[in-house]
Amino acid sequence: MKNIHEFATFKNASSAACAVVVLVAMGSVNAKTPPTSAELEDQKNMLMSAVKRGDDLWHSAKLGSNGLACGNCHPDGSATNPHTWPKYQSNLGKVGTLREMINWCISVPLVGTPLALDSDEMIAMEAYTMYTHRGVAIAPAKDEQHGGTPVVSGPGYPNAHGGNR
Amino acid sequence: MRKLSRRDFLGMSIKTGAATMFAGMFAPTATSLMGLGGVAHASTKKITPFTFAVLTDAHLYDISDHKFDAILEKAVSDVNSIQPRPDFVLYGGDLGQSGKKEELVKGKRILDKLKMPYKIILGEHDYYLDMGKAWRGLFGDEHWSFDHKGTHIIGMNSILVNDFWSLRKLTPLERMGYMEELECHQCGLWGVQEKQLDWLEKDVKKLSPDMPILIMTHSPLWDYYPRWNFQTVDAPEIRQILRKFEKVMAIHGHVHQVVYNSIGNISSAGLLSTSWPWPYPPVDLPYPNIKMNRVDPGDFEDGLGSHKIDLSSNFDGVVNYRAFSDLLPDNVKRGIKL
Ligand code: HEC
Ligand SMILES: [Fe+2]
Ligand SMILES: [Fe+2]
Repeated sequence: MKNIHEFATFKNASSAACAVVVLVAMGSVNAKTPPTSAELEDQKNMLMSAVKRGDDLWHSAKLGSNGLACGNCHPDGSATNPHTWPKYQSNLGKVGTLREMINWCISVPLVGTPLALDSDEMIAMEAYTMYTHRGVAIAPAKDEQHGGTPVVSGPGYPNAHGGNR
Repeated sequence: MRKLSRRDFLGMSIKTGAATMFAGMFAPTATSLMGLGGVAHASTKKITPFTFAVLTDAHLYDISDHKFDAILEKAVSDVNSIQPRPDFVLYGGDLGQSGKKEELVKGKRILDKLKMPYKIILGEHDYYLDMGKAWRGLFGDEHWSFDHKGTHIIGMNSILVNDFWSLRKLTPLERMGYMEELECHQCGLWGVQEKQLDWLEKDVKKLSPDMPILIMTHSPLWDYYPRWNFQTVDAPEIRQILRKFEKVMAIHGHVHQVVYNSIGNISSAGLLSTSWPWPYPPVDLPYPNIKMNRVDPGDFEDGLGSHKIDLSSNFDGVVNYRAFSDLLPDNVKRGIKL
């Protein structure tokens, strides 16, 4: 009864209908409890702390050995085009992922040691540049390689402070 | 008071913080749409034609044998190789990266290899560690002017922001760190500020309107992309002071890219750096054909270069971007008119 009652609180009719279909198909009344707004808030905060960590790494010389940070050349995450991956990238010489390209830029322009592809740091780097491009349409391989005009695509991320972090 | 009256005269709104953090305010205007060389300047005084070179934005680090040292060295040799030899060189700011004296000393040592005299202005990366102390010790005044073969040449410090550090109790190093980020969200818009406006007003007061004027600032004298300080907040006042002249040429660093605009009697060109190129911000370029191509991050010299500017007897200028790679569309390769 409890679960049925919660369905009645769904605001979105189609998701409620969808859930009913699942229920019927499973022949069960044990539906999942939707997250509370406090839980959603927690989850959002966890994402934002990854974005913030990514922002710190993005503007830190620590990833490399020549003083440069990603942010020198990619203000607001510009020209990283997270919405275009995976795609063929001539520097990688294959169809690669955003994370592989992040590592390529750590190795080459920054002369640093690549991150493990599933490390928290890598996820934070990805979270930052994806966040700066929120709302931009996904378009794999949209951009030409090294021809055409490089542009900033996303709305950016308004951090609270500046570099040397 | 001056600010208000000038702005009122120009019919421009006063910029107040984030609400106006958008670009394209002044571009393109009806006048600028007249196109390159569309502004009447036929009566500008004849000058003795001459050539000068421009370098900018080396962003040197206090790290020995850094790759940016070699690129600045290359740019200096390139300028030294130009025949006939340019009369002088202008340097557009951001010689250092973090405002350290060591960076500026290294930069001066490299620039001193130029075979012709040079004049230099400040960029934000040179300034905010010690508020310009080391820079002034090495290079002298933050603003200056001189006459050369009939042209009046002006350099100014356009990167002065209001104090954002005292209330936050930032150390000089932290203050510099904030300014090092192009997208610094707390630093505010910069400009030349009142004292330099007064200086400029006096500097040009006695010049007749047919005097050819060349002005160099670190940032553009038009609202391009304020979020990255691709602007000078008191550019309207500067343009107002320079309005009486038939023709003004402006060049600027900071944007690390090819860009052009023309507003009223002023045409303006952005320059290539010798450190790294920047992508174009998400605003329409006032002259979309004047730009550079996308850069290969595997080629450290792609997107970088030096410049030669030729001035004819009619004070028509041509900016030759001497890119270190095959970067430029043909129309830009041929040189753009200033
Ligand atoms: C010295 C300048 C420089 C530095 C430092 C730098 N990059 Fe790049 N990076 C570039 C340039 C130039 C491009 C090519 C941009 C284009 O294709 O328009 C690029 C491309 C990329 C791309 C691929 C864009 C695409 O669509 O193909 C990613 C992702 C990227 N960089 C991430 C990073 C990260 C992460 C860092 C820091 C570890 C970094 N970059 C540091 C200059 C730099
Ligand atoms: Fe710069
Ligand atoms: Fe700058």
